[in-house]
Amino acid sequence: MRVFAVALLAVPLLAQHGRYLSDSNNPAIGSPQAIAAGTKLFMGSCAGCHGPDGGGGARGPNLVRRSLWHPLSDDAIFQVIRKGVADMPPTKLTDEQTWSLVAFIHALTGPASTNPFPGEPAAGKAIFWGDKAGCSNCHAIRGQGGSMGPDLSNVGGSRPLAVIRESIAEPAKDLYYLGNEAATVELKNGQTLQGVAKNRSNYSLQLVDSQGTLHLIQMRDVKKLTVSDTTPMPTDYAKRLSRTELRDLLAYLATQDIRAKEPVQ
Amino acid sequence: MIRCTLLCLLVAGGALAQVRHEDIAKGAGQDWLTYAGTYSGWRYSPLQQITAANARNVVPKWVYHVPGARGLQSSPIVYQGVLYITAPNSVYAIDGRSGRLVWRYADPRAKAAGPNRGAAIWADKIYFTTTDNYLVALNRHTGALIFNKKYADVAVGTTSTSAPVIAKGKVIVGSSGGDSGMRGFLMALSADTGEELWKTYTIPAKGEKGSETWGNLIEWGGGATWLSGTYDPALNTLYWTTGNPWPDYNGSVRPGDNLYTCSLLALDLDTGKMKWHFQFTPHDTHDWDAQSWPVLIDTEIQGKSRKIVLHANRNGFFYALDRVTGEFLRATPLINKITWAKGIDAKGRPIELPNIEATAEGNWICPSVKGATNWMGQSYNPGTGLLYVLTLEQCGMYFRSSQEPQPMKNFSGGGATEEGGQVFLRALDPKTGKRVWEYPMTGLGRAWTGTVSTAGGVIFSGDDDGNLVALDAKNGKHVWHFNVGEMLTASPITYSIDGKQYVAIASASAVFSFGLFEPAVPIELPVVEIKKK
Repeated sequence: MRVFAVALLAVPLLAQHGRYLSDSNNPAIGSPQAIAAGTKLFMGSCAGCHGPDGGGGARGPNLVRRSLWHPLSDDAIFQVIRKGVADMPPTKLTDEQTWSLVAFIHALTGPASTNPFPGEPAAGKAIFWGDKAGCSNCHAIRGQGGSMGPDLSNVGGSRPLAVIRESIAEPAKDLYYLGNEAATVELKNGQTLQGVAKNRSNYSLQLVDSQGTLHLIQMRDVKKLTVSDTTPMPTDYAKRLSRTELRDLLAYLATQDIRAKEPVQ
Repeated sequence: MIRCTLLCLLVAGGALAQVRHEDIAKGAGQDWLTYAGTYSGWRYSPLQQITAANARNVVPKWVYHVPGARGLQSSPIVYQGVLYITAPNSVYAIDGRSGRLVWRYADPRAKAAGPNRGAAIWADKIYFTTTDNYLVALNRHTGALIFNKKYADVAVGTTSTSAPVIAKGKVIVGSSGGDSGMRGFLMALSADTGEELWKTYTIPAKGEKGSETWGNLIEWGGGATWLSGTYDPALNTLYWTTGNPWPDYNGSVRPGDNLYTCSLLALDLDTGKMKWHFQFTPHDTHDWDAQSWPVLIDTEIQGKSRKIVLHANRNGFFYALDRVTGEFLRATPLINKITWAKGIDAKGRPIELPNIEATAEGNWICPSVKGATNWMGQSYNPGTGLLYVLTLEQCGMYFRSSQEPQPMKNFSGGGATEEGGQVFLRALDPKTGKRVWEYPMTGLGRAWTGTVSTAGGVIFSGDDDGNLVALDAKNGKHVWHFNVGEMLTASPITYSIDGKQYVAIASASAVFSFGLFEPAVPIELPVVEIKKK
């Protein structure tokens, strides 16, 4: 009964805002060389405040989540790097250097599978399918694993790395569990069903039980519904897994891409 | 209500609830399990809660707006209360009673995004194809990916638009792209793994039988299979139609009949081997793909009981063939004005009139490039014994370009325009090929809506002005209509949940479901307890 709740948040946001609408035509965007150069600059000068994967730090905001919510255009990012904003100082980088930084930040908000990531996917695979993390009890990849949590077959192909990391380390950070509530349904006919309420309103409820079977329930047939107020996903992964284990697990998830030639399976 | 819900839950709850070959073979019922409702292509349902007498009480039950959709062409399938509909590179599972989204699967990074005409179901999986030719299998309960497998390369001009048809564990997928040059094929893929089981090209390779009907462009000959076909389980035969030869309008560069374009192919399901073929339009130069599906019925024809296949063709004629042997039995005009052929001869070959080719200045020919009918679904009603076909009375100009043909560059060797025209829904008698009644429509000749007919004696179809209409299946009299507010470019279906019949159709941007009016019953909200962690 553990759900990858936070990652879901990105779906409607990506759909609505479509960061690609703000893409610049500058050749640096999407260029592996520019992104590599930008990575170096970022690690040297920006990561201290914004975190190594742009996920935010004590002094700088999360560049990934912010851009999913209200995307800045590439040109606007260029200007911020050049001129600074609020407590962030201006820089004296060349145009080329600045564009390579923009290219890196742009790439950070793209799918994890399209960017280089640290860690060992093969080691992460053992963690995903093993007992210590227990991910596969609830999540499936390509038809294997549990059905209660969101399918992760395309998690690397659809989510930025920083969002996946946050979803694992701090699944309760965003209270976006409506749609993934642990639920017990007592029907008026005496039957009781347990599972995850995928979607519910005052009139109907969709429940996936532990066998992975979907039940379409009308609320007029329900006597009592009990739901949990927080994500069913364990919230202790930051402690349960070592830094290396978390990094490897992220590497494995980053390779899960329905468009990848050979995702690690 | 509660009892029924419990029953439905028990049925839905069983892990054994899986769609089997015999479930699809027995045809539509509560569910609608394949593109045309049955393997034989009838688009017919035995449901009879909605009748010609009470259809005036039909009201909308729900609408689901498919995010970002324009010009949906998908015909839904329904299994155990869930309706599955596709948009380009995506599938939506919708609660058939409430219209609420159950899950969505999307592959926005596909390398092409053309129209998609529907999904298929087998065992506990939902199947569809992406425009760039991946077969995708999904868990029907959750939408989780089971596998996706690329079966053809978009880089050589092939795309996918049609709904797969699944028989005996074989997923049959077609090919699109014939207007830009490609080599058409039909493939069978394993429903368990997506592995290729067989592949049959619709255009022979150089040196093979039939290749003498082509010039040098045979490798890019077209003959796409962009619409779902039908299947006869007793004969273990697939019936699939093929598209136009390429380049569409310039026939001088491909001398000969151009086999097997604009044809009906009978293929063995197990091997893909061609049992017979019948070419409706040899050496087509008007883009008259043979796409409109083959309807399989058993009836008396010319005094003899036969297994036949009916085909309303874009070229203006309505055909009947023996589906065991492929023997031509009869062809009658589908529309009133046909100016390219005097008729069809005793062997089934058109008796062509002079000067029918496209020219540099333009040649005015009837029917127009859209054809006398097209891929919109026809339906056969065993109760009335009639076939219902949307037809278009329209002529158009055909132009030929003398430019060197270039495959995969959107080059079709010319072009075509159409002007005016009127859409008619026509009821045809399969025994004689004659028109029994027609329902004329007002509009601009833009309707692309199919039909569904039921044991309740009703036909549902779209008109040429964005209305879903209900007609009396016996005589074509108007019973009811509803304006969906935009053009309809897909075919309706019908299904039943908890003893209530629904009629569903995709409009350009949404899915609508209708049923008989019932006064609302106030809901006493249940106790909802929020458990604090």
